[in-house]
Amino acid sequence: MTNMSQTTTQRSTENPLKAITRFVGAENLSLVIALVLLVILIASQTPFFFVPRNLMNIGMNLAVVGLLGVGMTIVIVSGALDISVGSIAGVASVVSAIFVTYVGTVTGGVFMGVLAGALLGVVNAAIISYLRVNAVVATLATLSAYRGIAFLVAPEGRPIGVLDQSFAYIGSGRVLESGSFPGIPVALLLLVAVAVVAHFVMSSTVFGRAVYSMGGNPAAARLAGINLTRMKFYIFTISGALAGLAGVLVTARTSSGQPASGTQGLELEAITAVFLGGAILAGGKGTIVGTMLAVVLLATLSNGMNLLNIPTFYQLVAKGFLLIVAVAIGQWRMARAERAQARASLAG
Amino acid sequence: MAETPVVDIRRVGKAFPNVRALADLTFDVRRGEVVAFVGENGAGKSTLLKILSGDYQLDEGEVLLDGQEASHVSPREARQAGFRLVRQEPEIVPHISAAENIFVGELPQRHGVVDFARLRADAWALLEECGFDGLIDPAAMGDTLSPAQKHIVEIARALKPGVKVVAFDEPTSSLTSDETERLFTLIRKLRDRGLGVIYVTHRLHEVMEISDRIVILRDGRLVDVCETQSVTPDDVVRMMVGRDLSYGFARTETTRPEVVLEVSNLSSRYHENISFKIHAGEILGFAGLVGAGRTELAKVIFGDIHKRSGEVLVVGQRTRIRAPSDAIAASIGFAPEDRKGEGLILVRSVMENASMAVFSTLSRFGILRNRMMIDTVSPLIDSLEIKTPSLEQEVGKLSGGNQQKVVLARWLAAKPKVLILDEPTRAVDVGAKAEIYRLIDSLAKSGIAIMLISSEMPELLALADRIVVMHAGRLSDPIEKSEASEERILNAALGQQAA
Ligand SMILES: Nc1ncnc2c1ncn2[C@@H]1O[C@H](COP(=O)(O)OP(=O)(O)OP(=O)(O)O)[C@@H](O)[C@H]1O
Ligand SMILES: [Mg+2]
Repeated sequence: MTNMSQTTTQRSTENPLKAITRFVGAENLSLVIALVLLVILIASQTPFFFVPRNLMNIGMNLAVVGLLGVGMTIVIVSGALDISVGSIAGVASVVSAIFVTYVGTVTGGVFMGVLAGALLGVVNAAIISYLRVNAVVATLATLSAYRGIAFLVAPEGRPIGVLDQSFAYIGSGRVLESGSFPGIPVALLLLVAVAVVAHFVMSSTVFGRAVYSMGGNPAAARLAGINLTRMKFYIFTISGALAGLAGVLVTARTSSGQPASGTQGLELEAITAVFLGGAILAGGKGTIVGTMLAVVLLATLSNGMNLLNIPTFYQLVAKGFLLIVAVAIGQWRMARAERAQARASLAG
Repeated sequence: MAETPVVDIRRVGKAFPNVRALADLTFDVRRGEVVAFVGENGAGKSTLLKILSGDYQLDEGEVLLDGQEASHVSPREARQAGFRLVRQEPEIVPHISAAENIFVGELPQRHGVVDFARLRADAWALLEECGFDGLIDPAAMGDTLSPAQKHIVEIARALKPGVKVVAFDEPTSSLTSDETERLFTLIRKLRDRGLGVIYVTHRLHEVMEISDRIVILRDGRLVDVCETQSVTPDDVVRMMVGRDLSYGFARTETTRPEVVLEVSNLSSRYHENISFKIHAGEILGFAGLVGAGRTELAKVIFGDIHKRSGEVLVVGQRTRIRAPSDAIAASIGFAPEDRKGEGLILVRSVMENASMAVFSTLSRFGILRNRMMIDTVSPLIDSLEIKTPSLEQEVGKLSGGNQQKVVLARWLAAKPKVLILDEPTRAVDVGAKAEIYRLIDSLAKSGIAIMLISSEMPELLALADRIVVMHAGRLSDPIEKSEASEERILNAALGQQAA
């Protein structure tokens, strides 16, 4: 009864830091800080970083992992894991190449790639729901099976060349290119559009809240009337479709439908980004904004290390290290914030 | 006071973000006495226990356990120092046996491997010593245990060797009267062995029966410490809530002729041929021992447990309920007894938890309307007097009783025609309990049919218009309110045909 009136207090003095905090969410602030520090560090070491062309490249490079990250965020928040997305992207890459090259339809290529991804997602959901296989195990199985399918679908298991210019535009085209400004990658715009929609869906729709609920406590969600089976179908289909779209992007960028190269191991990068972005394995927590920040952070890191000629092996170690440090800092910040607030209530 | 007290609490204070949970508490617990903590929901009882158990760190003051400084201990150190807490919400590992759950962290070993034979034997011995033999199979898996059995595991866990003080945080809220009696026998035995016992409950008659002294808390402060013999329950209530409280409650019958819920010949793997009717405005009480199948019956009706045969009719309409979502669509609401396991999403906000069942009505084209959510939830928070710093607070951070009220709020928001309440006042304080009784009463008045499952006899007698008793998956004939008595219900619950 006593402390009901404190609902709408803080909000009076708003310094810039607070404004940022409110936009990205307090839990994502450490990511923003890490990103800023990283940018400063890299820029101070090499003059080639803060160049429009390089920044544009980073944007183009992160689109594929970004799309997978969006889908993976939804899956992980729901309390599951989808490790088949890299393989799904491989199938979609081949399928879209077949349609563009042999059937000659660009929209058909994009559409069929996404559709193939969605269908494979449905298969995942069916295995998980009807055969009652745990999501990790089920998608571990399909990770292998779908990769095989990608090779089977590709004629003789070989990459398919794609020469269509308008298709390539999706992967490496740029808009607003003029003079020294290298333009904004179409792929990045695509990612931003998908991420904005996903953010809205996760934060403001019945579906999004249901995803958080089922991740937080499946039994309670079920008893509150949420149909878990149907939700799993939606979630894995979305994840599959986004993986399909990512596969289409890979084809468009590399001008070839690849059963394996370009999509192998992407699932790990996406999962890394989601956890770096603040989600937890148990489900119920995580945001699209957090994942996107993490994707940018990871892409910046590998770009910077490339510019500094750091060998790939070190880069891999650095990424693993970053994930652990970031999660640890997140935990520490949260505990500290709680202590600070508690001290304030002691004084009051 | 020559003897050092076994627990000595000196000027202890503790705060959480936006909440001052404890302030300036000083009192002690002596050897061979039972001290009861009483106070409203959110008064700070559990917080104090968790400081003693090392789960929380205090911000001010100090604590001595058996004369030793113990202000900043880890849970492990607290255990070793002899403080054992029987938690309000037992932590049970689902996929290991009850015996392993009891000895978790201290499994008996031989040559580096777990000695399962000894584990079984130790578990049997411990349960027998506690007087809980026959109530639980040590080999049963954690997730198959009923809430009462989980509590028994938690109690046995606390009484392993080395114990000097045991604190029970609302131990009887999921126990039947028989199990409660056994617990009291156990507590008296512990007291006579010279242990300090702390007993937290909202049931004042238990406090009067078992305790030697009463510590009364209000809003984190100490109101008084009194000898149990020198006070009446009314005195205690007055000190707890800081005002006079009319918690005496009289229900006026509001049953109307039309039948809202009709269940006929329902069978499931737990039940055979269950039939009953609840009229508009009627409260039908379900009595029975724990394990009689009442919770399961609620779940069958609600579509969460498969129904083998039989019909469920709502306002004369046949329903096809295959999942909880169908039941909600048929205007049935269900507040489960196990709020942590089945009721709440602990990591999500009060607002989300309270509005979960009605997301679809608070949205347009699948998009949630924040304004509508607030307008729906806020009045419920106020009328249920849920103590929370904001609507955005994680439900897991509310006190136990307030969590229970959030579950109720969810179903009030859904405005159902049939409301199934499974132990609705479990862990709720006297003031709020009276409030919830009035609320249930007024819900009935508004024409809702209420199926009330409760193990608290006084609660059933106060609220229910008719009472049915479940025994081994079968239902007795309804007993009219005028003819109901504790004795008659108990006989039926034990399977004896009432005279
Ligand atoms: N982990 C936590 N984080 C934030 N606030 C907390 C936390 N634990 C308890 N509180 C708050 O501290 C206050 C005291 O809670 P506590 O659980 O000790 O109450 P209680 O007396 O045990 O109530 P009940 O009878 O409902 O169990 C409440 O206002 C509660 O919301
Ligand atoms: Mg409590």
